[in-house]
Amino acid sequence: MSLSDLVLSLADNKQMLGLRYAEWATRAPSLEADIAAAAMGLDDLGHSRVLYGCLEPLGHDPRGAERESDAKSLRNLAYFDEPWTEWSQFVAANAILDTAFTAMIEACVGGSVEVLQHRLRKMLMEERYHFLHGRSWLRSGIDSGPRDRAWREAVEWFGPPDGDVAMLHREGRLSMGPQDLLARIEGRLETKAPHVAVDWKTWDPARRRVRPGAIDAHTFGMLRGLEEKKYAPPAAAKHTAA
Amino acid sequence: MSDGYKRVSGDAVEYEVFARKARVDPLHLVGSVVAPDADLAMAYARATYDEERWCEMAIVRKADVIRLWSPGEA
Repeated sequence: MSLSDLVLSLADNKQMLGLRYAEWATRAPSLEADIAAAAMGLDDLGHSRVLYGCLEPLGHDPRGAERESDAKSLRNLAYFDEPWTEWSQFVAANAILDTAFTAMIEACVGGSVEVLQHRLRKMLMEERYHFLHGRSWLRSGIDSGPRDRAWREAVEWFGPPDGDVAMLHREGRLSMGPQDLLARIEGRLETKAPHVAVDWKTWDPARRRVRPGAIDAHTFGMLRGLEEKKYAPPAAAKHTAA
Repeated sequence: MSDGYKRVSGDAVEYEVFARKARVDPLHLVGSVVAPDADLAMAYARATYDEERWCEMAIVRKADVIRLWSPGEA
């Protein structure tokens, strides 16, 4: 997989993370947490736009027409396939997966690719507050299920020890490889990841995940603008169809 | 929300939020947030009072403010 494939995966995951955060903007444990969920959602949706915008300057845009009709063509982690039903899921994503994505952005900013060095730097400032939010809630204690799943999917997303991320690191285009990235989030969160044994033979290198599946139909429809059309007045819908 | 978190009511501390738009302006009180620790209070302050382009923002525990007098006591 190329650097563009990795950036597209980062963009798709940031988009889904932003949407899932936003779904909690009226369901979090306090008004402050509601506002933080909304603000972090907007940040991550903005970050995804910037990342999509990097694909063309990178010289290869892996997005194809199938993204309009096939939810499995989106490169999000399985963690984002369904809306979260528990606050623990929000916290685990916020603390572990968001920090994993930030570590990769740091690797891009520290690497040799100019467009990524320049365009992604501002994200790191905004992500500082996502991290403080996630780490604080993680320290308060959450269910082990979502926490362990988030760790597993972070390890899967970084890829195999000798895979594409390791190669991009060797080439200097990323400043960190998979082990460095994992160590970075463990250091930030001041905790060790549980032992994760990944069967890399079943790993999908484009989607950077093992688990099959795709985002729910409602979210996919909304991403494609279908939900908007569903609620349009009949005349407008007819006009759109024509 | 389905989880029974008690942090907000149990361990919550009120923090005052101060900010300024330009270096020449004095810091002024823009509001407050309630959080169980300073990390979360920083995240909440940044999210809640992000409507302006502040050049500086700071938080302080409300309990750490030493009052010389309060309204009605002067």
